[in-house]
Amino acid sequence: MADKSKVGKEYAPVTWEVERGKIRELAKAIGDPNPIYMDKDAAISQGYKDCPAPATFLTVPMMWSSSMPVLITDLAINFMMVLHGEEQYEYYQEIYPGDVITATPKVAAIEEKTNKAGKKMDMVTIEGLYTNQRGEKVAKATSLLVERK
Amino acid sequence: MAHQIYFEDIAIGTQMPTLIKGPLVKLQHVIYAGASGDFNPLHTDDDFARAVGMKDGVITHGMLIMGFVGQAITGWIPKKNLKRFGVRFAGMTKPGNTITITGKVIDKRNQGGENLITCEVIAVDEAGDVKVTGSFDAALPTKA
Repeated sequence: MADKSKVGKEYAPVTWEVERGKIRELAKAIGDPNPIYMDKDAAISQGYKDCPAPATFLTVPMMWSSSMPVLITDLAINFMMVLHGEEQYEYYQEIYPGDVITATPKVAAIEEKTNKAGKKMDMVTIEGLYTNQRGEKVAKATSLLVERK
Repeated sequence: MAHQIYFEDIAIGTQMPTLIKGPLVKLQHVIYAGASGDFNPLHTDDDFARAVGMKDGVITHGMLIMGFVGQAITGWIPKKNLKRFGVRFAGMTKPGNTITITGKVIDKRNQGGENLITCEVIAVDEAGDVKVTGSFDAALPTKA
């Protein structure tokens, strides 16, 4: 079960250089044909500085940096029993190719809940506020992990 | 795509254009694993998935379904107007499922100098089983 003493703990910062190819690759993996993610000229004509990162791009630094598996291990969560319960992003400005974004993942809450079937679960909330290379806030990611017990 | 939508164009009850995705194939899980960095074998290795209790084998990344919902949203409301997007993962998706994403505006307000809308979104499969529920906020320009 999740280690409740870790509430408030901050983990090593995740720093990620945003590549144009990764933006395109994620859009293609989703199957999103919106040209703003593929074509700089199309993006500029629609009011962007360059191709913006898609709405769910912040999963990329968390997963590719192995930050999420490290965190799950440190929290003593059983990897086989964990489900992704919720995900939320707040967007403060666009993320563009060449940006270097950094977040410090933090354990915001761990709560035990009982579902309708009477089974107990630990609900673990992880937050990451991302800033860019100019120190400006770009987005906040909040993930809810559910550990079945 | 995603031509500018103005605050005046939106009413409570306005429907987001429906997006249909799929049927999902296992290859898309492999492509998404590489793109996102989520290499949990639950999504790509049938033997592993069965060993952890998924009798039909691999299940789809929840974040891929959230990505589909993001496609539906930013195909309608420009990405630059999106302020918040959150989902709850309600059910597992499997290869073969066809996912239909719909949405409806539930609130419209002026707040902190911005013209905000809140829209509920839902993704269901061909049987009507719910995969993802959620909502987003967008700040829209006005015609004036």
